[in-house]
Amino acid sequence: MLVKTAREAIIYCWQRKKGVGINRVRGHFLASIVLVVTTWMCVGVTCAADAPDFNTQIRPILSQNCFECHGPDEEGRKGHLRLDSYEGATAVYKGSSAVNPSKLDASELITRITSTDSDEIMPPSDSMHALSKIEVKLLTRWVESGAEYDEHWAFLSPKKKPLPKVSRAHKAWRQNPIDAFVLQSLKAAKLDPMPEASKTALLRRVTFDLTGLPPSLSEIEAFLSDRSRNAYEKVVDRLLASDHYGERMTLAWMDAARYGDSSVMHADGPRMMWPWRDWVIKSYNDNKPFDQFTVEQLAGDLMPEATEDQKLATGFNRNHATSDEGGAFPEELRVEYVVDRVKTTANVWLGLSMECSQCHDHKFDPISNEEYYNFFAFFNNNSDPGMQSRRGNQAPLVKLQSKDRDTQLAQNEVVQADLNKQLKVRRESIGPDAEKWAEVKEADLRSAKTFKAQPAGLQHHIPFYDMLDKKAVELISGIQSKIIAGARSGSWKGNTTLRMRNKDAVDYQGVAAFVEVDKPFTMSAWLKTPVNRVSALFSKVKQGDSDMRGFDIWIDRADIGMNLSSAYPDNTIRVMARKQLKANAWQHVAVTYDGSSKAAGIQIFVDGKAQKFDVEDDSLTGTIQNESPFRIGGRYPNMNFEGEIDDIRLYDRVLSQDEIGAVRADSNGQLAVFTADRPSESQSKFIESSFLKEEDSIYKKMTSDLAAAQKSEAQIKKEFPELSSMIMQDNPDAKMRMTYVLERGLYDSPKTNKVITAAVPSFLPPMPDGAPANRLGLAKWLVRSDHPLTARVTINRYWTLFFGGGIVETVMDFGNQGSMPSHSELLDYLAVDFVESGWDVKRMIRLVVTSQTYRQSSRVTPKALEKDPRNRMLARGTRFRLQGEFIRDNALAVSGLLIPTIGGASVKPYQPLGIWNEVSLSGGLKYPQDKGDKLFRRSMYTYWKRSAPAPNMMIFDAPTREKCVVKRPRTNTPLQALVTLNDMHFVEASRKLSERVMTEGGVSFSDRVDTLYRLCMSRPVTAAELEVCRSVYDQQFASFEKAPESARSYLSTGESSRDEQLDLIEHAAFTVLANMILNLDEVLTRG
Amino acid sequence: MDPIVEQLKILGRRQFLKNTSLGFGATALSTLMNPGLIGTANAGVNSHIAQRIAPKAKRIIYMFMAGGPSHIDTFDFHPEMRALHGQELPDSVRQGQRITGMTSKQSTFPVVAPMFDFQRHGKHGTWVSELLPHTAGIVDDITIVKSMHTEAVNHDPAITFINTGQQAPGKPSLGAWLSYGLGSLNENMPGYVVMISRGKGNLQALYSRLWGSGFLPAEHQGVKLRSSGDPVLYLANPEGISRKDRRMMLDGLSKLNQSHFDSFGDPQTQSRIAQYEMAYRMQTEAPEILDFSDEPESTFALYGEDARKPGTFAANCLRARRLAENGVRFIQLYHRGWDQHNSLPKQIRGQTMDIDQAAAGLVKDLKQRGMLDETLVVWGGEFGRTIYSQGKLTASNHGRDHHGRCFSLWMAGGGVKPGFEFGKTDIHSYNILEDPMHIRDLNATMLHTLGVDHERLTFPYQGLDQRLTGVEPARVMHEILS
Repeated sequence: MLVKTAREAIIYCWQRKKGVGINRVRGHFLASIVLVVTTWMCVGVTCAADAPDFNTQIRPILSQNCFECHGPDEEGRKGHLRLDSYEGATAVYKGSSAVNPSKLDASELITRITSTDSDEIMPPSDSMHALSKIEVKLLTRWVESGAEYDEHWAFLSPKKKPLPKVSRAHKAWRQNPIDAFVLQSLKAAKLDPMPEASKTALLRRVTFDLTGLPPSLSEIEAFLSDRSRNAYEKVVDRLLASDHYGERMTLAWMDAARYGDSSVMHADGPRMMWPWRDWVIKSYNDNKPFDQFTVEQLAGDLMPEATEDQKLATGFNRNHATSDEGGAFPEELRVEYVVDRVKTTANVWLGLSMECSQCHDHKFDPISNEEYYNFFAFFNNNSDPGMQSRRGNQAPLVKLQSKDRDTQLAQNEVVQADLNKQLKVRRESIGPDAEKWAEVKEADLRSAKTFKAQPAGLQHHIPFYDMLDKKAVELISGIQSKIIAGARSGSWKGNTTLRMRNKDAVDYQGVAAFVEVDKPFTMSAWLKTPVNRVSALFSKVKQGDSDMRGFDIWIDRADIGMNLSSAYPDNTIRVMARKQLKANAWQHVAVTYDGSSKAAGIQIFVDGKAQKFDVEDDSLTGTIQNESPFRIGGRYPNMNFEGEIDDIRLYDRVLSQDEIGAVRADSNGQLAVFTADRPSESQSKFIESSFLKEEDSIYKKMTSDLAAAQKSEAQIKKEFPELSSMIMQDNPDAKMRMTYVLERGLYDSPKTNKVITAAVPSFLPPMPDGAPANRLGLAKWLVRSDHPLTARVTINRYWTLFFGGGIVETVMDFGNQGSMPSHSELLDYLAVDFVESGWDVKRMIRLVVTSQTYRQSSRVTPKALEKDPRNRMLARGTRFRLQGEFIRDNALAVSGLLIPTIGGASVKPYQPLGIWNEVSLSGGLKYPQDKGDKLFRRSMYTYWKRSAPAPNMMIFDAPTREKCVVKRPRTNTPLQALVTLNDMHFVEASRKLSERVMTEGGVSFSDRVDTLYRLCMSRPVTAAELEVCRSVYDQQFASFEKAPESARSYLSTGESSRDEQLDLIEHAAFTVLANMILNLDEVLTRG
Repeated sequence: MDPIVEQLKILGRRQFLKNTSLGFGATALSTLMNPGLIGTANAGVNSHIAQRIAPKAKRIIYMFMAGGPSHIDTFDFHPEMRALHGQELPDSVRQGQRITGMTSKQSTFPVVAPMFDFQRHGKHGTWVSELLPHTAGIVDDITIVKSMHTEAVNHDPAITFINTGQQAPGKPSLGAWLSYGLGSLNENMPGYVVMISRGKGNLQALYSRLWGSGFLPAEHQGVKLRSSGDPVLYLANPEGISRKDRRMMLDGLSKLNQSHFDSFGDPQTQSRIAQYEMAYRMQTEAPEILDFSDEPESTFALYGEDARKPGTFAANCLRARRLAENGVRFIQLYHRGWDQHNSLPKQIRGQTMDIDQAAAGLVKDLKQRGMLDETLVVWGGEFGRTIYSQGKLTASNHGRDHHGRCFSLWMAGGGVKPGFEFGKTDIHSYNILEDPMHIRDLNATMLHTLGVDHERLTFPYQGLDQRLTGVEPARVMHEILS
């Protein structure tokens, strides 16, 4: 009877897949699976002989087939019938009830599900559902036996049951509570456990599981030679104490926390969240109890006297996708962020998908639409805006100290201050010498063949001749620019230029004030640009609400044009010369205007030649003057210039073509200065500084020292950028945002007739006494010791790291639609134990990996495969492919390339060309690959740009991390083979691996291959394997011997150097061998 | 996910394999006991469940015009518009609907009639813009839908919506659903490929989620084919390694893996062996498929000279046809640069020049090869553009903002009516008057042409049987099917 019932229980499960009838499933293939699954279904739940078990057998049928119309969702409910509660099912409506316990004839449910009338039958014939005969039988017997309802198992607090007694036959097994439960279920299923895995296999398994890295040769040696009883436990303790343990645990948490280094939506710009990641690594390594880990990440900012670290921890809920898209509706986005935080928090801690109830009552779980917004309210008062930045971190954030940066900058500042002082002294003592020198210089310039008299009317002249104190001087008025933050000096013909990187602009307050609609002018400059973007050369523009006033000279790729606007776009002149600029070449541009208010009064010159241009607008009537600064290399708020600019001049009259030629001929601006009739004060200063720079060796030495110090300052800033990390922070009390139910979940349809307060779903325990109705209260509620979900969900998630799947397979769903636990008593035992231990994560993991269950051999016998193909019963060790990050890290580790530094900023290792450009906004974003050590960091530190993540990781199932993922799918595809065969990471690692083996692994071929095996598989090579290796090596050797140039190019992949001591052909052939080993199933698999 | 459901899917796959002649080897079959171990060439885990309708199409070629092409300047023409030119858009048309932050502050909303000539073409006198002379030549082969609509009005949510069925990230793309549901027809090629080209217009960003697998296993993600370097990432052997060298090494690898299998018995190991063999075959097959050297001159006359230049839309169209011939199930082309907020007349001319001849050429080519009936060809973007001018309307220049309330796309082949127009908008091409077709309806209809019931192509995730069309109603638009 028992087996029959249970088997039927399984069969209904087969039906759960919509639209598939039992008649599709035939033959003994089915029978064998059914038997196996039957057995595990019985474990941990009581398979009553008569009454079907509500939780395992009845609720799933009702949930899948009935709840959509007769479940918790009030609005969607049909026929006034609710089947998810005893009260609902037995309620009398119009004289009958769906379920009349023990009375089949009086139960409408039974009448309907057994009806042959297509108008009567339930589920309706036009629905996607149909009940099988077996399901009908089960429901019938359930009603017959009293129609008992149990609460859903996962919504009741777990209880620790006494450990099952282990039969004598298995006394040899080491005893651990986990083993007791597992053995009990194996016994019921008539399965025998496997013996312990070999020492080498076990060491490799546990080292990967706890650190994500392979064991080293010395670790293998130490373990093999340790004959003590607790040798293995010692290894586990060593691994748990390793800092790599924190990295490994953090990598899994990064998926759940949707960690990324970019903002996801629209521009997908950069952000800095790695300080949060470092916090997670440290927390795991410090073994921070999981309840604290939870409270700090969800509400660290609200803790009394919150520390910087506790605030930093809340970055968990700032990792979500944000947008900066121009036309977007900030409130729509803000609501989306709250929705994401609700989803992620519920997925990760509760194992529930709450998002269904964003629009209506949940169809399957008892979460009403209003309760969703109760939960939403916890996150609805965050102060971060809907429209966020595409350039770095969006407030609120914590600024973090960077000791390295601060110390080094302080030292550098002293050096620079001292040099500046010395330079000043030198400058002040030089006056008369410079005057004499200037006379000689002027005479020289005038006598030169290229001399051309300089035109009159020069109002402004910015030659960027020097940029002391990071400012450039306008030489006629002496006006200094604002500090040029990012702009740097370039160089052209030994002359300083302004170099811009599409980020910065240089502002002068007061320059170009004379420019007006009714006055003539000439403007000129030298420029060099890649002509791949839209930017402004210079401008003086005031941005209004919907219009702009002022002028600019702007560039659209190879086009150059000018706007003179009183109110752009309605009152403006707009002209454009098409395709006149050359890419990355120095060229001179000039524009003249005669003050006529007409486009016809404009001329555009490129390299002295007048250009044809299109008139796009010619409607200027009013003033163009405004109070904005004159801006070089941009037009407010962006249009930033990339390339170099030099020698900007503004004249108050229209220059002739010849005069423009003269200006052009004076490319470094010296003639304008030295031949000025009445030099301005700044011109005189300029002459002095020219003398110093060109003639005074002491001064020259000082300036070059200063330049070096400035360069080193920039280097320090680049290497140690200012640190910050985004955090959660609520609005101040006075600005608290009201929460309302949003009609169909739409941001612009709040039901304002009722204010929704922050609260937890009513089917779960209440908030702890005295807990505030905010995120802090929510976090404390999650870690209540009797919370039915948090500990179970957490244990289950950690379990997947060590067994490849969860005790509950639906790691993200513990609700009515989730799968039943394979070992429910074990799960409950571990959950209670975890809480009782003070949420001690390392202790719990130690318990798992020291269990005999974990330590079994993963050998698969045909019988075992047939009975339990997916190893749900745990009658053997589990085997699964290593995750992508571990596969690359393994290659780096065994080859000796790995830089094992813990934590810090993300890095940009090799990736194929064009991955960013192809998709980026405007298409110009190149991947700035790093060099040196940063190429060889662990893969968890690879810069994660979420619109274009590292392809070699994506191919291995890494999620994009745009959304929370608590369990990765695991696939094997040919594209993966191509990565480990051909990606330069692996080609280079193979080369270094062979180098390492050839230099450290003995002299004979067999010794070397043996070392290779030990490095990659933690075990010695067998004779048969050695023979295969020999043959591959010999053939490859012969092939390379015939084509040594092929050997050389094969060995030239990657930035690391090759050991030239090694024979080229031998090295290349051995590299092929090493690459083959890195591609072995055994190496790619943790078994 | 539910283990039993998983087992069932495996069984489904097994069943499917029995019923088809895909020539799957014994090795691959043995892996069926272990789900998720199959390479890109699989038969589709859900096929016998999902595919209940007689399929008209075997594959889809989707030409996606990223950025939002103007329906007003291409297909959705009303002669009455000419008289409205320059007039303020009446409130009665706009009805207070939200408009993007880019134009919401404009003080006026002048109507802009297209600055292009429109003529009637084909048997039914279909209006087509002068911008699309070649497309005008195939109107008798296509259905033009003028009543597409979407709730999204900004690029990121809109393009995510139409490519994955939902505005927020996290869902699988259409192609991933097809790969999951129907699998590949060529075990040596990915079942879902993506190609990107760019025009000179304003480039909006793309995201790997648009061809991503969401919560479906990663094997279903689109494989981006590249125009320079390896057509498939990591496809070529490293420099210095010949194909013979590679074969020899793989033989050794296979031997070692086989002996590992002999002692450990894990079917995954055999799957791994098969996977390396497929990769080896893909190394020659993919470049061969993408090599145009066997194409006659007439091909380039058909697709345009651009087809000779790698990376152009035209070259991608020709690649698409060759991939379709070689069993690729879903081919998505992206052409970027349709976001004409300003200088629309100039920019859209450039964009249409890029795509017109090749898109029409592809349809003609498929037709002459007898493949059009079994190939669904789709052309369209994520939304349309406003009738009113963004920025200043001058005699020869203007822009248009995003518009989701109606937009146009066309489809051909694969069971779609030839020479048909569907849906009607008002004379401002602003609101739909008849036969609205939502993105969900489009998805349901595309799946239908492949024989797939959109309500049955499901994947259990987070307690819900997830589907491409989501939980809101979606309808197969039988009106456009032949």
